[in-house]
Amino acid sequence: MNLGISALNYVNGIKNNEFTVEEFISESLDHIKQVDEKLHAFLRINDFAIKNAKEIDAKIKSNQNVGKCYGMPISIKDNICIEGSKTTCASKVLENFIAPHTSTVVSRLHSEDSIIIGKTNMDEFAMGLSTEFSAYGPSKNPWNNDFVPGGSSGGSGVSVAANECIASLGSDTGGSIRNPASFCSVVGLKPTYGLVSRYGLVSYSNSIEQIGPMTKTVEDSAFLLNIISGIDPNDNTTLDNKNQDYLSDIDAGIDGKKIGIVTEMANSDGLSTNVLDATNDSIKTFEKLGANCEHVSLQMVPYTVAAYYTITSTEAGSNLARYDNVRYGYELDSSGFEFNSYISQARSKLGPEVIRRMILGGFVPSAGHAGKYFSKALKVKSKLITEIKHVFEKFDFLISPTVPIQPFKFGEKINDPVSFMMVDFNTVTANLTGIPAISVPYKITNGLPIGIQIMANNLEEHSMLQAAYALEKTVDLPEVQI
Amino acid sequence: MTKIGLEIHCQLTKLESKLFCSCKANYREFEPNTNICPICMGIPGSLPLLNKSAVEKATLIAMALDCRTPDKIAFFRKNYFYPDLPKNFQITQLNAYGNTSIGWEGKISVGNVKIRIRRIQLEEDPGRLIYEGATEKTKLTLVDYNRAGTPLVEIVTEPDFETPHQVREFLNILSDLLENLNVSDPGLEGAMRADANVSIEGGSKVEIKNIGSFHDLEKAVHFEITRQQSLAERKIEIVQETRHWDDGRKITVSARTKEEEAEYRYHLEADIPWVRINDGTKNQLQIHMPESISSKKERYVSKYGITPQVADILSSDRYFSELFEKANNETNAKDIANMITTDIMGLLDTREKRDASKLKGDHITDLVEYIKSNKITRASAKLALDEVIKNGKRLSEIIEDLNLGHVSNEDVLSGIIAEVLDEEAKAVEDSKQNPDIVNFLVGKVMQKTRGKADPELTLLLLKKHLDID
Amino acid sequence: MVSEEEIAHVAKLMKIELEDHSSHIKRVQKMLEYFDILDNANVESEEIIVQETDLDKLRDDKYVPYDKDLLKFLNSYQGKYVKAPKLN
Repeated sequence: MNLGISALNYVNGIKNNEFTVEEFISESLDHIKQVDEKLHAFLRINDFAIKNAKEIDAKIKSNQNVGKCYGMPISIKDNICIEGSKTTCASKVLENFIAPHTSTVVSRLHSEDSIIIGKTNMDEFAMGLSTEFSAYGPSKNPWNNDFVPGGSSGGSGVSVAANECIASLGSDTGGSIRNPASFCSVVGLKPTYGLVSRYGLVSYSNSIEQIGPMTKTVEDSAFLLNIISGIDPNDNTTLDNKNQDYLSDIDAGIDGKKIGIVTEMANSDGLSTNVLDATNDSIKTFEKLGANCEHVSLQMVPYTVAAYYTITSTEAGSNLARYDNVRYGYELDSSGFEFNSYISQARSKLGPEVIRRMILGGFVPSAGHAGKYFSKALKVKSKLITEIKHVFEKFDFLISPTVPIQPFKFGEKINDPVSFMMVDFNTVTANLTGIPAISVPYKITNGLPIGIQIMANNLEEHSMLQAAYALEKTVDLPEVQI
Repeated sequence: MTKIGLEIHCQLTKLESKLFCSCKANYREFEPNTNICPICMGIPGSLPLLNKSAVEKATLIAMALDCRTPDKIAFFRKNYFYPDLPKNFQITQLNAYGNTSIGWEGKISVGNVKIRIRRIQLEEDPGRLIYEGATEKTKLTLVDYNRAGTPLVEIVTEPDFETPHQVREFLNILSDLLENLNVSDPGLEGAMRADANVSIEGGSKVEIKNIGSFHDLEKAVHFEITRQQSLAERKIEIVQETRHWDDGRKITVSARTKEEEAEYRYHLEADIPWVRINDGTKNQLQIHMPESISSKKERYVSKYGITPQVADILSSDRYFSELFEKANNETNAKDIANMITTDIMGLLDTREKRDASKLKGDHITDLVEYIKSNKITRASAKLALDEVIKNGKRLSEIIEDLNLGHVSNEDVLSGIIAEVLDEEAKAVEDSKQNPDIVNFLVGKVMQKTRGKADPELTLLLLKKHLDID
Repeated sequence: MVSEEEIAHVAKLMKIELEDHSSHIKRVQKMLEYFDILDNANVESEEIIVQETDLDKLRDDKYVPYDKDLLKFLNSYQGKYVKAPKLN
C-alpha cells in the first residue's frame, strides 16, 4: 500500500474499495512504529485510531453518510486541544495537562470523519523554528536526519513528509507552518488572520497566529481549508468567508497575473546561494506560466523581525503567565511555599527559549521601555499593513523564498540568537499584516528542500491556491528516502 | 484644601452571564468553584467571548453620568501575578490609543458641588480568596473562582470631593442611579466596592484600598483626613503611598508596596476586536434609558401635585417608583404616592421582603379606590395590605376573607341594596301593595352581606328606596 | 546597551529565577541590542491599525451552565477550593 498518496487520492482509494480505512490506518501505525523512533514526529499516538477506523468502515459498508475525510489519518500539532487527551505544547509545565475541550478545527475534522492519528512535536509553546526547543527532544528532517526539520510545527512537517499521515494541522505565528513545510518539502498554508478559529489553540502570540494545513499537495491544503475555515462563535476574531470552496477552479492558472518579488526578501543579507538560485528559477517559471513578475520594495521589511519578536514576546509573557501550577500543571505541593517563590519554582520548568522570551516579554512592554520597543513594534506592524495594502492594489501576489536558507544542522544556529531570529525574515510579514501565505516545495538542492512562498491579499486564499497549484504542477521532485 | 477622589467598582448584577463567558453573573448562590468554565478559568485554548449586554449596560451608565462615549471600545490586559486571577492578567480598559473606554469626561451634581467623572471602564472581577490556617507555617490561601469574570464597571472621579460627607452623598446618589438604570443591585453584598485617594493642602496623595462597603468608605476617608491633618500639625511629611483599610480596627494602615506591583505591562487584548458602537446604537440606548431620578421627581411634583418630599423619596427608589407608576391611573396619584411612602415602604423595608412580596400595582390602585369610596377604613386597609403582600389575592377576596367589608356604611349598603332591588324586581313591584315584603328584601340584603349588614340601617334605606313610610 | 542588572531585575518581576542567569541574560541582551533597529524605522507618527467588529456580532447575554465538572481537571484543591500558596 502506498502511504504517500494525497488526501484526494486517499478519498478516491476508499471510494473505489482499493483499501479499507482500517487497512490504511493500521499500516500507517506500523509505519510510524518503524520510523518515528528515529524521526520523532509524534509526541503521542491516538490509542483509539483502529477503533475509529473500524467505526468509519462500518459506516461506509452500511451506506451511511460519511464525512469528506473518509477516515483519513491526520496529525495535529500538540498545542491544539482535544477533549480528554493531553496537550503539552512540548513543555514540561503542561506535561499532565488534559484538555477539557476540543478545538474547533479538530471538531470540524471529526465531523468530516477524519482520524486524528496523533499529536506532533514542536518547539516548546511554538517558540522556535527547528524543534530543538521541544522539551521532549527534537524531530529529525526526513531528507537528512542530521538536519533540523524546521519549526515550530516541525513534527507536523515531518509526519506528512515521511508519510506517517496524510496531512497535518500546524500553527503559524511567524512562519511555524511555512518554515517546516519548506524544510521538509511539503505544502504549508498560513491563512488570513481570522479565517480559521483559534478556539482550542494554546495561545502564544494571539494577535498574529493562525492554525493551518500542512499537506502533500496544494489541492490537499485547499481541501483541508474548506473544512477548517469560517466563522466560529467561540472565537470573536473569526471572519465570515461565506463557505468559499477553495478547491473549485484550482487549476485556473495565473496567466496575466501580476507578481511582486519582494526585493528585501529576495536579496536579504542572509540569503543562501542555493535559495537565491531556486528563487530566480521560480520567477522564470512564473513568467512561463504567463504571470508578469517585477520587483517591489516593502520598506518596513527590514524592521519586521525585531517588531515580530517584540510583539510575540510581549503577548507570550502575558499568555504564558497562567502556567503558575496553581490550577493545573504538574505535581508540586504548594504548602509551605510563599506565593512568589512557588510561582518561580513552577516556572523554572519552562525551557530556555521560553524563559528568554518571558524575560524579553517583561522588558519590552514595561513602563520605562515600551516607547522604545513595544510601541514602535506596533507602529512598524501598522505601517507595514498600510504598505501591503498599497502593494496589493497593483499586484495579485507577492513571492519570496519561504526561508532564506536551507535546513541547517542540529546545534548549528542555536547559540547565535540573532542569526536564529533572521531565519524568520521572510515569513513574519504575513503574520504581522494578517495576509495569507503558502509555501510550495520547489527544489531539492544537495539533498535538502527549498520552498517558495506566495503571499496574497487578505482573504485571497482562493487565488493564492490557484497560483500555488500552477507552480506545483511545474515541479517534479524526488521522493524522500526514509 | 482637602481633595478626595474615588474609584468605584460596581458589578453589573442585572446581567445573566459573566463578561466573557456564559457562567452566571450572580455567583452568590453557588457552591465554591461550581460557577466556572474553561473561559473564566483561563484554561489553555479558551478565548474570551464578550457579552453584548455588558457593553450596552456599561454604556448606559456612562450616558447617565453625562460622559462622552467612544465610537469604538478596546480591551487591554493588565498583567500581574495573583492567585485570584486565573490567567494572571485582568482584561480591562485603558485609554492608550485615544479614548476607547466605555466613557470619559462625565459629571454628576452632589448638592451644590459638581463631581467630574474622569473615566468609566468595563472589566472582569477576579475570584475570591479565603485565608486558612492559624500559624505562619500552616497558612494557606484557598481560592473560589465563582466570581472570576463577573462584569465590573469602574467609575473613576476627579479629586473633586472636599468632605467625607460629600463622598457619602455621592455614593447614595450613585447607588440610586445604578439601581434606577436597572444595571446593578447595589444592595447585594460585594456588588459595590471603592478605593479612595485623599490629600490635604500641601500633602501628597494617599490611596486607600480594600474598602469593603460604602459605609466604611466614608469612615476611611474621615480617618485618613484626620491622620494627615495630625501629621501636618506635627510638621511630619505626608508620603505618597497606598494604605489599606483595616476593617477590624477601622483605621488605615500602610501597605508596603513592592516595586513590581506598579508594572502592569498593559497591552491590547487581541482576542477581542475593537467593538464599534455606532450612533444608532447609542440613540437606541438613550431612548430606552430609564427616566432619571431627578426628572422623575420633577414629573411627580409638576404633573401629579405630589409634595417634593414624597416625590423625592419615591423617585429615588427604583422598586417603589415602579410600583407607583403601575398603580397610578392619573386620578389618584397623590393618594397612591402617600400610601406607598407612609404604609408600604415600612412593610417592605428589606430586600428579602420585597423579593417575597406579592403586592402589585393593581392592589394599591384598588386599596386607594376602596378607601376613597368608603368601602374600607384606613385601618382595615393596613390589614389588607399585610395580606396582599403575603398571598397576592385580589383585594375584594381579601376583604371578604377577613371580613373587612364595612357593611354599616351607608354607601356600601346602598350599593348592595341597589343590587338586591335590581334582582328582586317582582318583590319591589309587590311591595307597593304589601309593604311587609320589605322584610323579605332585608333578608336578601343580609344574605348578600353574609349577615354583616346593619339591619336597622338596611330597613331604613330600603324603605327610603321603596318610598315606604 | 541594556545592563545585565536591568535584565535580571525584569526576570525577577516575571517570576523567572534561575540558578545561572548569565547565559540567558547575555542572549537577551543581544536580542535587545538587535531590536535597536526599530529606532531607524521612522514610525513615530503612525496610527495603530487593529481588528474591529460590530456590537451586534457579540455574544448574547445568556446563562448557560458549564456541563462538565471542571474541578476534576484542576489539581491541588482542598474541598471545593483551589489551594494556592500563602500570600505574604
